Amino acid sequence: MIRLAIILVGAAILACLPFFTGAVFMQFAINALILAVLTQSWNIIGGFTGYVSFGNSTFYGLGIYGTAVAMVKFSLPFAVGLGCGAVLAVLAALLIGIPILRLRGPYFAIATLGLAAATGALVSTIDLAGANTGLVLPLVRADTMFYELALGLLLVCTLTVLWIATSRFGAGLVAIREDEDAAATMGVNTTAYKVIALMMSAFFTAIAGGIYAYWISFIDPSSAFDPTLNVRMVIMAVFGGPGTVLGPLAGSFILSAVYEVLSSWISTAAALLFGIVIVLAVIFTPRGIADVLVGVRRHGWRYLTRNIRENRL
Amino acid sequence: MNETVLSIRKLTAGYGGAPVLFDVDLEVRAGEIVALVGSNGAGKTTLLRAVSRVLRAEGGIAFNGEDILPLPPEKVFSRGLVQVPEGRQLFGAMTVEENLRMGAFRRTDKRTLKESFEHVYGLFPILEERRRGLAGNLSGGEQQMCAMGRALMAEPKLLLIDEMSLGLAPVIVDQLLDVLTDIRSRGVTVLLVEQDVFAAFSVADRGYVMETGRITREGPVSELGDDPAVREAYLGA
Repeated sequence: MIRLAIILVGAAILACLPFFTGAVFMQFAINALILAVLTQSWNIIGGFTGYVSFGNSTFYGLGIYGTAVAMVKFSLPFAVGLGCGAVLAVLAALLIGIPILRLRGPYFAIATLGLAAATGALVSTIDLAGANTGLVLPLVRADTMFYELALGLLLVCTLTVLWIATSRFGAGLVAIREDEDAAATMGVNTTAYKVIALMMSAFFTAIAGGIYAYWISFIDPSSAFDPTLNVRMVIMAVFGGPGTVLGPLAGSFILSAVYEVLSSWISTAAALLFGIVIVLAVIFTPRGIADVLVGVRRHGWRYLTRNIRENRL
Repeated sequence: MNETVLSIRKLTAGYGGAPVLFDVDLEVRAGEIVALVGSNGAGKTTLLRAVSRVLRAEGGIAFNGEDILPLPPEKVFSRGLVQVPEGRQLFGAMTVEENLRMGAFRRTDKRTLKESFEHVYGLFPILEERRRGLAGNLSGGEQQMCAMGRALMAEPKLLLIDEMSLGLAPVIVDQLLDVLTDIRSRGVTVLLVEQDVFAAFSVADRGYVMETGRITREGPVSELGDDPAVREAYLGA
């Protein structure tokens, strides 16, 4: 109940933000919101189910291209485009998920790693999708609309994750993460649960891609199927606290802000400093920000020193 | 004679191309404790895996008269055929209470959940003491209790217990065996798979002896215990 209140109040405050801020901030905020959706979606398969997916950028790319192709080549409205992208990504999750969700641990990660690159290469040979040159979407100057759209999507996505965290479905996912064999022994249909989790993850990721495509208005294969974007989802979720409802939000907002501040101060070394921030975070908060909040409240500063000891520093 | 709960007819199963079970016949009747004994590699665990439908098998398996061979594992579980796996397979990073709750995962009547918790805590008071502790921090005996408690949370009709005594002190094993009698008196039928023949025969009504994938002897434990061949092979006398 507390979490629901935090989510709703937070969303209400964020919804008012465009009326008090400028265009530059809007640029940053839309990016941050889209990244937050990606991180929260990744949390469903990576955080709750424990399957570290590097294939989510594939679903993002499919969402981008589904929307773009529908709008540019078939002159369909934006909403229909979003639907096309989502259907494409969810179908891909179903088809890809059934074989590769049989793999566990690093094998699953490696299998998904190749996906984005392969799909990107495939898309760049399809003429309908603009091949290598990409597609240009109708230009709309409406940052406030895109902001509110992304915020709405983040709200729905987070409410879904909240439902997962409190439902029987989520209990099944966590059981799979903790011990898949034991979960199967307790009557969890592990295959179905994993595939559904991946499809949910793909759905929100693809919608975020669609919003991004219309907002940025120019897309090409290398930016749509960018594996480093997937790495950022993982880092942000792990930094915030995978398998929690609010952790990935905190993680993505904080890291987006840190990156923005760093790159405005010192543009060239920003990536380096970003790396240092992440290394420090992993050492001091190995189980994420969400865990730190609970841990420090319960154990005080001893919590942090214990983390350092456990990392053998 | 009580009605048959589990009836296995001419069951053949194996891994890949290698057969492990050959024409196994086994029957468990309502209210019984049946012991399945045999040495390492005899195929006991394979039989349990085939019965809980994790492993592909050929032949006949009927549970309460229903052919369960075409069913997926979770359906078999829902029918009330619940396994306490070898090595316990607890969720180590979850608390004892969360583990027990997972046992009730497929139960649709949540109202009687509290009763089940009380029942399990009544059988294993130590679990109630430790209910907020992580299952991974329990001792071996407590883990076995937790695994059995978790299985009981599913309201089983037939409990399949694999190597209950493995790595446990004799005192603990005795305690667990007492619990089995208790469970039976509440209407749960038990198929106990054991290497420890002494322990198994001390509570069971009937026994089956398995060797290299075949049932070689069967009968009431009093007769089996007197069988010279069984005595020689398993009781060291």
